Amino acid sequence: MAEEAIFEFLHSEIVNYTLSKENSKENDLSTLEYIGFTTGFRIIERLTREWPRFKDELDTMKFICTDFWSTIYRKQIDNLRTNHQGVYVLQDNAFRFLTRLSSGSQYLEHAPKFVAFTCGLVRGGLANLGITSTVTAEVQTMPSCKFHIQVNRT
Amino acid sequence: MTIYNLYIFDKLGTLLYYGEWNRLKQSGITKDEEAKLMYGMLFSIKSFVSKISPVEPREGFLYYKTNKYALHYLEVPSGLKFVLNTDNTSTGIREFLQNIYTKIWVEYVVRNPLWTIGTPVSSDIFKAKLDEYVKQSPLYGAKLL
Repeated sequence: MAEEAIFEFLHSEIVNYTLSKENSKENDLSTLEYIGFTTGFRIIERLTREWPRFKDELDTMKFICTDFWSTIYRKQIDNLRTNHQGVYVLQDNAFRFLTRLSSGSQYLEHAPKFVAFTCGLVRGGLANLGITSTVTAEVQTMPSCKFHIQVNRT
Repeated sequence: MTIYNLYIFDKLGTLLYYGEWNRLKQSGITKDEEAKLMYGMLFSIKSFVSKISPVEPREGFLYYKTNKYALHYLEVPSGLKFVLNTDNTSTGIREFLQNIYTKIWVEYVVRNPLWTIGTPVSSDIFKAKLDEYVKQSPLYGAKLL
């Protein structure tokens, strides 16, 4: 419990801090996303050191859904969907940063603040594994959250 | 066995939360006034108990009973105060209050990033979890008429 709570509290302070800085536009989540990106980029080095190379993109996504997610959020992604054309949807039915917030639609307007870091985290992780992508999140009813990954092909 | 109502105060005396289940008689004053009155009384009892104690008091004030109800008091090291009114036959309230603190307050208020320290709680999930916990407890009992 202790180390998890520290991560949670630090995360919520980072959210407050990046969004309350002077001169920053309101609802500008890009700083938060970038912090997530660099964190994800670095953490992947450590998480994959015992792993062989991934077969393909789907294999990489599976790694994100299982090992990556359970190291950071102590649970796996509940549902992974793909159209096999570079779009992946990762669904977490009890997303860590939202579970204490609400179990319905109260505070829904605050939800984007608490998912931006994680979008960056996923994007950074994938970037270091050689996949350039755009990650967005969608919250309809808390604490469930869907992450949409759009792989950018060149 | 039945649970009437619950007050949660912080160390400065702010009423952070008030919950009511089977309260049969209202005080006739506003909730704000009632909370002030309650906090004032608890504050006095606390200092009275520690001054008058003939031996070294360990935990200080724990509860009082009248012929109709009992008021249970739990103060945690951070100064947060939980006050629960039950009928006067209920037992094991201390553990019950401890659990409300560790399982519900810490989980759904302290760990909720949208709660500002020292302000009343407005989160629906806290209210829902507290209601659920109280109603599941054997202390809740049937509604007395």
